[in-house]
Amino acid sequence: MKMIHRSLPALATALFASASFGAEVETITIKTLRAQMRYDVTEFDVKPGQKVKLVFQNDDDMPHNLCFFQPGTDVIAAANKQMEKPEEALKRNWIPDDPRMWAHSKPLNPKESDEVNFTAPEKPGVYPFVCTFPGHAAIMQGKMTVGETGQRLPGLTELKFELFLGNWKSLPDFAKLKAHREGDVKDNLVQINVDDYKNEFGLVFTGKLDVPKDGEYSFFIASDGGGRIYVDGRRVVENDGIHPADKVREGKAKLKKGAHVFRLEYFQAAGGAELYTAWGGQGFVTTHLSKLEHPDMKSAGKPKKNKNENTGMPLVVAQEPIIYRNFITGAGNRAIGVGYPGNASIAWSAEAMNLAIAWRGAFIDAARHWNGRGGGQQPPLGFDVFRATELSQPFAVLAEGATWPALEKGARPAGYTWRGYELDAKRIPTFRYEWEGVKVSERYEVAGDALTGDGKLVRTLKLDGKIPAGALFRVASAPKITPQGAVFLVEDGRVVPEIATESKFLVTAEGAKLTGKDLTLPARVEIKVTYSWPSLLGTH
Amino acid sequence: MKTLRILIGLILATAVLRAADPQESDYYKITTFDTPPGTALEVGSIELLPDGKLALGTRRGEVWTVSNADSDPANVKYQIFASGQHEILGLAYKDKSLTITNRYEVARLTDTDGDGRADKFETVCDQWGVSGDYHEYSFGSRFDKDGDLWVVLCLTGSFTSQVPFRGWCVRVKPDGTMVPTCSGIRSPGGIVVNYDNEVYYTDNQGPWHGACTLQHLIPGTFQGHPGGNKWYDLAPNMGPRPVDPIPEAFQQGHKKGTPDPDRMDAERKRIKELVPPVVYMVHGKIGNSSSFIVPDLSDGKFGPFSKQMFIADQSHSNISRVFIEEVNGIKQGVVFPFRKGFKSGLIGGRMNEKGQLFAGGSDRGWGAKGGQPFSFERLDWTGKVPFEVHEMHAKPDGFELTFTEPVDEKTAGDPASYSAREFIYAYREEYGGGEVDDKFPKVTKAVVSADKKSVRLTLEKLTQGDIHELHFDGVRSADGRPVLHPIGYYTLNEIPAK
Repeated sequence: MKMIHRSLPALATALFASASFGAEVETITIKTLRAQMRYDVTEFDVKPGQKVKLVFQNDDDMPHNLCFFQPGTDVIAAANKQMEKPEEALKRNWIPDDPRMWAHSKPLNPKESDEVNFTAPEKPGVYPFVCTFPGHAAIMQGKMTVGETGQRLPGLTELKFELFLGNWKSLPDFAKLKAHREGDVKDNLVQINVDDYKNEFGLVFTGKLDVPKDGEYSFFIASDGGGRIYVDGRRVVENDGIHPADKVREGKAKLKKGAHVFRLEYFQAAGGAELYTAWGGQGFVTTHLSKLEHPDMKSAGKPKKNKNENTGMPLVVAQEPIIYRNFITGAGNRAIGVGYPGNASIAWSAEAMNLAIAWRGAFIDAARHWNGRGGGQQPPLGFDVFRATELSQPFAVLAEGATWPALEKGARPAGYTWRGYELDAKRIPTFRYEWEGVKVSERYEVAGDALTGDGKLVRTLKLDGKIPAGALFRVASAPKITPQGAVFLVEDGRVVPEIATESKFLVTAEGAKLTGKDLTLPARVEIKVTYSWPSLLGTH
Repeated sequence: MKTLRILIGLILATAVLRAADPQESDYYKITTFDTPPGTALEVGSIELLPDGKLALGTRRGEVWTVSNADSDPANVKYQIFASGQHEILGLAYKDKSLTITNRYEVARLTDTDGDGRADKFETVCDQWGVSGDYHEYSFGSRFDKDGDLWVVLCLTGSFTSQVPFRGWCVRVKPDGTMVPTCSGIRSPGGIVVNYDNEVYYTDNQGPWHGACTLQHLIPGTFQGHPGGNKWYDLAPNMGPRPVDPIPEAFQQGHKKGTPDPDRMDAERKRIKELVPPVVYMVHGKIGNSSSFIVPDLSDGKFGPFSKQMFIADQSHSNISRVFIEEVNGIKQGVVFPFRKGFKSGLIGGRMNEKGQLFAGGSDRGWGAKGGQPFSFERLDWTGKVPFEVHEMHAKPDGFELTFTEPVDEKTAGDPASYSAREFIYAYREEYGGGEVDDKFPKVTKAVVSADKKSVRLTLEKLTQGDIHELHFDGVRSADGRPVLHPIGYYTLNEIPAK
């Protein structure tokens, strides 16, 4: 249920009554971020007297509101003042009784939304907004800037497209390819559906951009499929590879007043296809250059969105390994990340009781979990991530012709008990678990340097107890495993959607035998497996 | 001699009074410690170690041992004991090991080589589910007299139960066996085994919780939020699943958008496993986010409130005081404001034998009044006795108040010195909810005891199930001081027969 609020006190109404332009209603959408006590938009710009429709949506799992105050208001103090008379504040549902507040949403329960319609003040300035529920104001706030130059930039003119056909995983050199078809884009807006192709195509848009004054401008791109923008032949921003369009990339270019050449390259492999672009800067409101308008490209020039909260706290491995137990992408809900000296890391799963993923380079960024409430899965910070096997149990006794038991997401394999781990003098962990009465210990060490040299990840399992007859250990599983002498090249494509690299590794293990897509060996008292990265050894 | 000393005391007290009204800080002093560099000491749990040291478990998954926290804060020393755990919201020391409760297990941490850092991380129990949702916090107690550790498991997203035993309290036996113990948990903030081996936890405002509450964990009971009740199938020891409380939408005569007519007191009669909150930590007044529970077992070293409970609030960065009693087999009691002004949102707390209360926490993800992102502090009694209501007992027709100091007979014996209000929260599915059923019963009689340490109040009418908000604004001590915190909220689950 949506309600329209007009909550302007008399003074403010009088102030805004002279609004002479901006008849067009500007729609601003602000959502609350789940588990972070923040708004997703913390800054936006409007023109003086602009009619604004604010859509406020509470995606968090606690109640919030959004209250606008006059410039210069200490909004934290204004919100906290309510705690002095909590009985009265409670009756007002924590909407402050403060003459400086000039508009507000209704208090929203989780998953509710509201619409606040108001006319922006004529007086330029920074108007803070804040959630006034007790304790929220300290971090849950933002600002609306009423600016003199809140005008749009011009759009593209003389926009043309070239359509290419092909199956790419990254942007090809379109200059070397022959276009399948070309034509004019009538509405001068960048768009994907210039033809009926849904998969395996590329597009190059070329148009004229009229820069109104000298200065630095921001160019934004977000795309499902790869995209890249050139201005006057110089690359400004790129978002190559295959990924969803949720992340907006921004690049800047210093441009002189006058006409410039805009070129946007894009390719689509398969599945979802979206393309967004916009430009802004020099006090202008961000102007969309694509038919689709990305919500995160609302305004230009400044960091508007609460997007960078989840990066920037890398855990740097020095002399000792670092252990990080948290939600790690691809490693289930009971992940144990270990960053080893020697520039290799693993995520072990105390759910599957097995190695989940391994990578080289940097270990992990803890910011996602150590800011806000810490929700979500964190992918590795390094690169060349591989998945040893599908996330499932390491040992099994298979009936004739049976395949390796799969593990439902979040489930734990039967017959396995997690026992914990120990650290040795070098602080290297040895994981311990039991399988069918057999005590298993498992330890990893990096030989060499996985970043620059010929680093290898050496995994040693020791089994203590009566090993069930016919028990197998699975070394690797992938659709493509190629023996190269004693070494196997394991290629698995992109196994974890959030990790933008292909799983590819070399593995050696004495007695390993390839059966279908599984590389297994008979379980024995000691098993040694050596993993390395083909890109390191020049066999890429 | 004695009379003379009291006289001098009186004169001094009066002199102080003239200077300024009594402040909380006159009686309880907060000391703020510097925290180790390079980390955020977001204290989630605190435990005492045998040599006078402390152990702190943090939200970042570290355990720090702390020396000299009981003396001059300049001497405090930290050493890292363990790191990389998935949040530590429970610490229990026993037999040279620290048992931690992290998100998905109870584990025993031991330093076997004596270098001050744990090198053995033995999983004791990991039998409850974890779905990957950030809100599935797990709070662990210390050991009860049987050596069991109690764990309260937050619901998935604090609303539903996606994996087994989310929304439950489980006991972990010394051999690692997990025993489902109570259903109905929503979003816990702390858990304690009290001196009498009874176990309590705090729950937070949300669906089926009009306010934060102190709850009594009696094995076999249902604590009020039905979100996790589908797991009764996995807990045969708990008997059949209790009937669900009725969501407002299904109540006869309930109009959409009007307050839920359902009440805890009524549902208790229908749902035999349902245990009412011991005390409502009244929303917005006592706090918004109840956390640790610390009983005062210092035998007077922390002041006059021996064996009472001190309950913290993350959002308000404060500590409140709770006195409980048992009436008709049900625990109930009263909460008074106690001490505000901590630097961050309080989460972990513990009192040592010297009566020093250590408290720490963080405001990450949930803002707190304190204003600092994290903190570690100590609360000491200054030795001065505040004039406070010491205990508040329910009586058939009113309450008996005992005071920490002799009262002034004239003001304490005057019914006009008191006022009373009753209200309750709807027991409803929707998030939180306001105070409803306001009543203002008259205080008809106030009789001061012969020793001047207690007052028997008679109220016009008591209502079972209501929170009774009592104000003592007019009462003065024999030496003329007002009550430091002249308000108490008594949760009247049961009215005693005598």
